[in-house]
Amino acid sequence: MTTTAPGITKATKPAKARRGGVMGSTGLYIATGVAALLFLIPFYLIVRNALMTDPEITGETWKWFPTSIQWGNITEPFDDVTVDFAQSLWNSVVVAVLHTAGILLVCSMAGYGLARIPYKHANTVFYAVLVTLMVPTAVTFVPSFVLVSSLGWVDSYRGLIIPGLFSGFTCFLFRQYFLGFPKELEEAARVDGLGYWGAYWRIVVPNSLNFFAAIATITFINGWNAFLWPLVIGQDPSAWTVQVALSSYMTNQTVNYHLIFMATAISILPLVLVFLFLQRWLVQGIAQTGIKG
Amino acid sequence: MSASSNMNWDRRNVLRAAMGLAAAGGLAACGSNTGRSGGGSGDGLVQYFHAYGEAGVEQALKRYAKAYKDAGVTTQWITGNNYEQKLFAALLTKNAPDVFEFHPQIQLVKSGQVADLTDIIEPVKDDFNQADITSHTVDGKIYGVRMIDDPQFLFYRPSLFKKAGVEVPTTLEELIEAADKLTTSKVKGIFLGNDLTSIDRPLIWSAGADTLTADNKPAFNTDAVADGLKQLRGLFTSGNLLLDAPADSWDPSALIQGLTAIQWCGMWAMPAMQKALGDDIGIFPFPKVGSAGKQSVYNGGWSMFVNAKSKNVEAAKEYVKWLWIDQKKYQEDFATSYGFHIPPRTSLAQSATKLKSGLPAEGVKLFNEFGHFDNIGWTQAMIAAFWDVIANTVRKDGDPKAQLDACEKKVDAELKKLFG
Amino acid sequence: MSTTTTRGVAQPAPAKVSRPRPRRSLRASSTFNFWLFTGPFLIGLIIFVFVPIGWSIWLSFFEARFTVTPSEFVGFDNYQQILTDANFRNSLVTFTVFAAFIVPATWALSLGLALLVNRLRFMRAFFRSVFFLPTAVSYVAAALIWKMSLFNGVRFGLANTVLGWFGVDNIAWLANPDPPWYWLVIVTVRLWLQSGFYMILFIAALQNIPRELYEAASIDGAKPGWQTFRHITLPQLRATSTAVILLLLVAAYQAFDEFFNLLGKATWGQPPLVELYKMALGQNQNYGAGSAGAVVLTLLICVVTLLQGKIMGFGRGEESK
Repeated sequence: MTTTAPGITKATKPAKARRGGVMGSTGLYIATGVAALLFLIPFYLIVRNALMTDPEITGETWKWFPTSIQWGNITEPFDDVTVDFAQSLWNSVVVAVLHTAGILLVCSMAGYGLARIPYKHANTVFYAVLVTLMVPTAVTFVPSFVLVSSLGWVDSYRGLIIPGLFSGFTCFLFRQYFLGFPKELEEAARVDGLGYWGAYWRIVVPNSLNFFAAIATITFINGWNAFLWPLVIGQDPSAWTVQVALSSYMTNQTVNYHLIFMATAISILPLVLVFLFLQRWLVQGIAQTGIKG
Repeated sequence: MSASSNMNWDRRNVLRAAMGLAAAGGLAACGSNTGRSGGGSGDGLVQYFHAYGEAGVEQALKRYAKAYKDAGVTTQWITGNNYEQKLFAALLTKNAPDVFEFHPQIQLVKSGQVADLTDIIEPVKDDFNQADITSHTVDGKIYGVRMIDDPQFLFYRPSLFKKAGVEVPTTLEELIEAADKLTTSKVKGIFLGNDLTSIDRPLIWSAGADTLTADNKPAFNTDAVADGLKQLRGLFTSGNLLLDAPADSWDPSALIQGLTAIQWCGMWAMPAMQKALGDDIGIFPFPKVGSAGKQSVYNGGWSMFVNAKSKNVEAAKEYVKWLWIDQKKYQEDFATSYGFHIPPRTSLAQSATKLKSGLPAEGVKLFNEFGHFDNIGWTQAMIAAFWDVIANTVRKDGDPKAQLDACEKKVDAELKKLFG
Repeated sequence: MSTTTTRGVAQPAPAKVSRPRPRRSLRASSTFNFWLFTGPFLIGLIIFVFVPIGWSIWLSFFEARFTVTPSEFVGFDNYQQILTDANFRNSLVTFTVFAAFIVPATWALSLGLALLVNRLRFMRAFFRSVFFLPTAVSYVAAALIWKMSLFNGVRFGLANTVLGWFGVDNIAWLANPDPPWYWLVIVTVRLWLQSGFYMILFIAALQNIPRELYEAASIDGAKPGWQTFRHITLPQLRATSTAVILLLLVAAYQAFDEFFNLLGKATWGQPPLVELYKMALGQNQNYGAGSAGAVVLTLLICVVTLLQGKIMGFGRGEESK
């Protein structure tokens, strides 16, 4: 990131200078600023509604800011007797972290195997993986649920996590990435007497951390935001993830706006932090993906 | 059993899950059952309830269950708009509830999903509202115990009616006219739910038609119903109908927040409305549609069923009998302490003091005078087919007659599958 | 597609090498290693993906209501039912319309944002974060914001408040399909949620374009701006564009959450997954017909993907957009 950035700025500088410097870049910043404002509106609404009283939210005249900020709203989701919000947050953390770790482990190995280990039926296996990308998950949903339930995994972390680990898509991305991984590095490892296993863990993985980070970020988001599966697997409130808890607020009679939006804000916060922190790696990782062909 | 409800998701469980992961996708590690020791385990009962919106209902149900000495009962409180799909998905598995609440629908009986409860109801049959017995009976057997009856009608703000000089409407024309007079720049005249599906059956009944005939043939495809749909289309496009309210019609928010002057809602919401609006609240039945029609009230409600595929059918029946037949105190508490509902037991309905005066008494009167009950043969698939008619003719400009014909065809196909 | 062929070509060589050395230990055997690496994934895939798929196919030939272990074989009845179902056919139209909106819109917006952000000298990280942040929000949360605060039909919705300043009456964004404002709601929610992610893809690609190309172009007298964009940037982004469009199509095809949460009991704006979901889980628990629909849909997608692979592979890529 930091190394390429100056290069790009240099490349675009002369262009801007010729178009009349200040004017051009002012226009650029205005355009970007307007777009950014539009993108921030929903976040603004969450925060506004979360810190307002309900009569103010539903009042006859629109208020851009709370007359007095209701800081007390912050603890409200945690005081709610019907939904154990703190527990659901913890469940989401556990599920998202283990989901991410599991996918990285299982899918990266499979991707590597498909990309780099010669085996005469490898293509057949690869096509079998590809086929799963075409089948809509919402439809195999019921058999999946019955299957997982018959394993006794309802209301358990296992039920929430394990069935989602075998992502054909992630495996596909890893395979594409490993196809482009420099062969020389591995061959050097082989000369040193390492098998596939050793080469993979000592050479390939350590040299692919950016890509792993990129996949990890995306996987983590998906794990955190998943709804339908956790909804059905989490029968008992103690097994709810935060998304399920969030949806439950919508059924309370006399909709409680500030509570809903405060819960939403809290549910988004961890991801926003993860994001701001990991963004750099994500950008670098994506720059190396097989995605760009 | 109790261990399951307050099961802690502590580090050990996390660790176990992690180990499961490590063991090549967890296949080796699935020996023990970490989940709740629900349906199949034989030492306790599991009951499913949809999330009632009123505060305190969940605690009340758990309190009743705790007082039952013969078996441990765990309550699953299903929130979100997903009760049916969660219930039905669970019913396919060994984690199925032993006891669950639902509406009487014949496909549950035909597929052998619900147990015959005739023997526990028979002794007190005469104390039940007879319509509630009929709506749960198939071939002489009774399959569910009605817990509560929920009449649904139109709520209105008398103060706004007075200001606009509007009388309580008795025909659909009058209702539409009233909505027009009541609409201001800030307040819409009427709210019938965002998708208008909650007035599906009232519309049919008020037009003098019915969902099905006594011998289970479609009876809703009449000119009066088609005219009613056409009139509603007019209302929909008039700008006097509240649309896209953040909370739907089963929630009293729209009326309480002053978004509308009239709202379709159920008796359960009365306490919340009275608390927010005091005396400024009145009710009237769904007005008559066309000249041959008659005002109607939809007597919905919830019933208790026993899962016939449960391993504890007998214990489950015992529990249902204990709570919903023997424990009248709890039944009255459930029907009147949170939202308002009408107890299906005649003796209770007569003695429940909270329903004896004021608006609740008015509700009981409408329930008795104009009420229509569920027809067990009118299943979810048919309901959905009629919802499509509403969507296509009221919210879209479809031809009512053609849509009703198409709906009748679908309903016929369903009936054929159910009754041969 | 090209990657698989290179792989096929590369494959025989090492296979030949390994055969004359049978004395080498099991650990070095490539067959063993192949299964070592892919085994855990494949076992899971079989249990949690292929078994349910197979189960669905099996169900599609049975009268399966309220049960997933049916006994009444009905042949192709379910297929006949689904293919004559107007709702199901409409859902395919809905998907086509939706894809026609969302794919070009997201492509253009994310590319536009990438170009903007990429030219910034100050606060670049800030703006990139702003555009990227919505990716962190779930469909559940986004649908909630859109439905309850942004596009609700009453006076305290932001969109209606703003329109109110100009004397426009409250619009029922979702309840009234005529005019179809619901597309605006559906499309904006998805644009907001996913543009940032594709913007990152484009930024990465933009930074991979060799600087020399621009320098050479300016020497050749190409005007910066549209000309260089048209003749250098766009062609250089072709691979990324193709990938983005493919990903967008897959995502559009899987669209479920926002439709399900925003539109409710409508007969319009129901993409295939919602339609099948309603059939199997929502109304009458008809797993047979639902599964039949899934099979039909899967076959359709396979055909379309194959065709698209051909077109994308040999066509002129994003210029034809």
